[in-house]
Amino acid sequence: MQLTRRFFFRNGAMALAGTTAIPGFLVRSVLAQTAVQPNKRLVVIFQRGAADGLNIVVPYKEKNYYSMRPSIAIPQNQVLDLDGFFGLHPSLASFKPLYEQGHLAIVHAAGSPDMSRSHFDAQDYMESGTPGVKSTQDGWLNRALQVEDLRRHIDHSPFRAVALGPDVPRTLAGKVQAIALNNVNNFSVGGRGPAPSPAASAFQAMYGDSGDRIFHAAGEETFDAVKMLRAANPGQYTPRTGANYPRSEFGNSMRQIAQLLKANLGVEAAFTDVSGWDTHQNQGAVQGQLSNRLRDFSDSITAFWADMGDDAENITLVTMSEFGRTARENGTGGTDHGHANAMFVLGGTVKGGRVYGKWPGLENEQLNQNRDLALTTDFRTVLGEVVSRTIGAEKMDLVFPGAHIGQRNFLDLA
Amino acid sequence: MRLLQGPVAFLLCGLLMLPVPMLTAQSDSHLVVPSRAKHVREAYTSHEMQGDARILHALNRFTFGPRPGDLGAVRAMGLEKWFDQQLNPKSMNETELDAQLAKFPAMQWSTQELMYRLPSNGMIRRALAGRLDVPQSGIVQAVYRNQMDRLKAKLQAKQGKKDIAAPMTSVQSASMAVVGDSEAVNSADAGAMAQSATAQDESDKAMNAAATTPAIPDDEIRTVLALEPGARVNRLAAMPQPELDAFVKALRPIQKFVLMNGMTPEEREMVAALEGPERLVAAEVIAERLTRDIYSNAQLQEVMTDFWLNHFNIYLRKNQNMPYALAGYARDTIRPHALGRFEDLLEATAHSPAMLMYLDNVSSVGPDSIAVGRIKRIAARRPNLAKKLPEGLNENYARELMELHTVGVNGGYTQADVTQVARILTGWTVEKPEQGGGFTFNPNRHEPGAKTVMGVKYKENGEREGEELLHALASSPATAHFISRELAIRFVSDDPPPKLVDRMAKTYLASDGDIKAVLKTLFHSPEFWSPEMFRAKVKTPLEYVVSAVRTSDADIESLSPLANALHKMGMPLYGCVPPTGYKWDAATWVNSGALVDRMNFALALSANRLPGIRVDWSAEGATQAIQAAGETTPETEEARLESALIPGGVSETTRNAVLEQFRQQYTQSDVAQARQIAMTRRPRWRNVTMSQTERQDRLLAGLLLGSPEFQRR
Repeated sequence: MQLTRRFFFRNGAMALAGTTAIPGFLVRSVLAQTAVQPNKRLVVIFQRGAADGLNIVVPYKEKNYYSMRPSIAIPQNQVLDLDGFFGLHPSLASFKPLYEQGHLAIVHAAGSPDMSRSHFDAQDYMESGTPGVKSTQDGWLNRALQVEDLRRHIDHSPFRAVALGPDVPRTLAGKVQAIALNNVNNFSVGGRGPAPSPAASAFQAMYGDSGDRIFHAAGEETFDAVKMLRAANPGQYTPRTGANYPRSEFGNSMRQIAQLLKANLGVEAAFTDVSGWDTHQNQGAVQGQLSNRLRDFSDSITAFWADMGDDAENITLVTMSEFGRTARENGTGGTDHGHANAMFVLGGTVKGGRVYGKWPGLENEQLNQNRDLALTTDFRTVLGEVVSRTIGAEKMDLVFPGAHIGQRNFLDLA
Repeated sequence: MRLLQGPVAFLLCGLLMLPVPMLTAQSDSHLVVPSRAKHVREAYTSHEMQGDARILHALNRFTFGPRPGDLGAVRAMGLEKWFDQQLNPKSMNETELDAQLAKFPAMQWSTQELMYRLPSNGMIRRALAGRLDVPQSGIVQAVYRNQMDRLKAKLQAKQGKKDIAAPMTSVQSASMAVVGDSEAVNSADAGAMAQSATAQDESDKAMNAAATTPAIPDDEIRTVLALEPGARVNRLAAMPQPELDAFVKALRPIQKFVLMNGMTPEEREMVAALEGPERLVAAEVIAERLTRDIYSNAQLQEVMTDFWLNHFNIYLRKNQNMPYALAGYARDTIRPHALGRFEDLLEATAHSPAMLMYLDNVSSVGPDSIAVGRIKRIAARRPNLAKKLPEGLNENYARELMELHTVGVNGGYTQADVTQVARILTGWTVEKPEQGGGFTFNPNRHEPGAKTVMGVKYKENGEREGEELLHALASSPATAHFISRELAIRFVSDDPPPKLVDRMAKTYLASDGDIKAVLKTLFHSPEFWSPEMFRAKVKTPLEYVVSAVRTSDADIESLSPLANALHKMGMPLYGCVPPTGYKWDAATWVNSGALVDRMNFALALSANRLPGIRVDWSAEGATQAIQAAGETTPETEEARLESALIPGGVSETTRNAVLEQFRQQYTQSDVAQARQIAMTRRPRWRNVTMSQTERQDRLLAGLLLGSPEFQRR
């Protein structure tokens, strides 16, 4: 019987009561999730480097699109038409069925209202959820989980908020403990045996009793998580047939998120990122750099969706990127830092098959600062709707302080 | 005057004791710091670290962690003198480092020589297209032959597609005619092809897999391995493709070791080049950097080199020329200026092929330049061709130059300034980057006309415009503050005291951006020596890994386990994709996943489970007698290893946790372990007889190196 120390202390006899057949944390995570939003899970994907939204969801009826992008535009006859005005980049072919089935929604001309064109600042603002305010300590997703706690106080799994990668991203930074892991199958100390190694036990005691505040907390979380993962044994994992993950870093991350979700570890929010979008040079059109990125991107997400099978019903997945790129191609077959962008929202309860958001147009006078797609949807209204409908975080003034968003702004897509 | 802010008594005392010339000098200038510091120290004495703590603090912050004996050496020399020596490392004895660096002869070559002798895939494509004189003798000829055969096999495997060498050739020759520097254009293709490490690996794999693998008889392997080192190299060089790749693939790990055994560094490089020249260059660029971090006695110079390599971040896989450019980037661009003037460093990076390629300035062209005029005329006649040619600005470098390299994001510039800077820097490019060429200013690409940046007008003056701009940026107070704060974050704390940063920035401005002077101000500041600063910084993965092998005095044959560990921990060298570089703060590096990786690294290092890296925990001298007499206990061994590995000591909690768990677990698992050892067939070259003390030491050392105390510096 694997029982984590902190759970024991928190739950006392309650936890012990559940020790007969199945690990206590499973009982608890089930209880926790049936409380309000049954089994709802949120997957957040950050496209780092500023993806070129105009070549991802192409406004192929805009004449100016073609005159501004003479060498990189996607020809009308090559886009995958969505609604007679927008079309997907052909490398997003695997998204098309999801859109047609009504699971995939798109929000165009969305993004951060802040005008920064710095990758660093814009990512920071988007992840903190407070554009223009640098002093915000935590990330929006962490605050959403905090808000959920206000409404129903229950104990959570150490895997409640998980990031695939070497560090906890800004999005998940904050009071609610989040865990970062590189490799689900390699997450143990001093060997992978069925019982903790002597070294692991020693480290556990060392960190557990340590007066070093930061490392004490991180150590506790680590060993709780290691134990749970060992009990769940996700190493015995083969994706469902039909879930063909690309053999890429991102494909691998999506695969592992599926693995964690299916292991019933109590994951509520999972985060991963994918880089390589900063196409200043030679980004290509139907083929090329961006096209390759997009194929990996969409195939990984589609494989994840297929892999989740019936559970996909309870998943909501949302993508974002720090800003879009210039409407005009630059002098080197690429695009520079722009403004508004396209977001994808995929989920069982999502009202997909539609491109949401007010389209600002691409005529020269309609551009932001005469260079980029103008912004009509604040990304926080999309994320706000998603977190209120999934993890039940409804107090928007706490999740996105200062944004003045609420039900009335929602696009009603989730 | 700042002195007026102090209490009256302090003020009087200070005025009485200041020598007359000092009174007339600016009291804030670093010139008066010694005298001020004296008083400040009196006021702070009880609050500053003293004795060994002071020395250890300095070693923790200004080096990659103490090696055995460092504490004593600094004690003997005096801390002030040690720091002075670190600031002026020219005369330092580097026998050990030089011996280690001798393992990488290619890292001394010029970029052009590297590119020619260890050809990139781009060079091989040129060779196949007949646009390169392929070496006609020696091992290097065999290197070309192998790479060309691999590429041909790969191209054949891509049946149905056009031979990619042909269209590239036409574009290249066309652009050569038009712009006059063909390779600057073509690097775009390379960039697209090798955008990410994954893509690069995939293409490597594809290249190897394309060849059908013939079976290699064991006899042949044995025969080759039995040859003398020189003959072994020649034998491999004589092997055709795909036999060579199959041969290498058929080797078992121990045979790979035997294959390289007894060879000179040059011979090892040749064998590695036969297997894959690009991979060799990338591996050595990383290995060379780690070697300096670990072995250099000029530690502060290496710490600062690392600091600037991160400040002026470059991504190894930006394009396939980058590994080649990076050898020179660290050696010629960064390290010589690491402790010099910031402006010189900025100038050097702005002229470096690595930076110009990484931030795309190589292909930024003035929209109204002569080059674009020509392109437009060509375009009118041959539209398809012109699509591939650059005809305008790329503002990537311009933006990061201000945001990340100099004034910082709040440095007072606008989007319009970014565009103006991009115009000023048009023409700053690289001559034939595909052949390892250097910086060149191409006046044809330069945007004509005057430019204005943050209110300052730059008259049309070709390359000089950029020089003036760099000077203006380097001497801006915003830059002084931005650089000072970043240094304070690296050396003092995640959230450095603003007053300290202000003083450093003042020194920066007063000394014309002298990095040494700024570091001196930091070193002489009471904030730096404040006791709560002891071990206040969490080590980054690089600091953690390097400090662990330094304190263990590890014997390192192969650096790749260390490079791999850094990759796993999220900090691969030259592996940061965005230009921001890595962060130095605890929040980034402390989390559950990271801890698991760090603990496992500590255990693997201590138990000699990192291939090619050996540590020896046995005691020397007096304690050896005790050990021989069998009088060691976990307590005595823990005490010995703790003082050797973590001279600042660990907490009572950590020590107790180690010992208690250790005793319990040890007795329980003793029998099981003995059985396991008997059952496992151990490779013959390993020492089978491991004493109980030795096993105990491995676990002790691993636990100490994985402890919370060792995560900090």
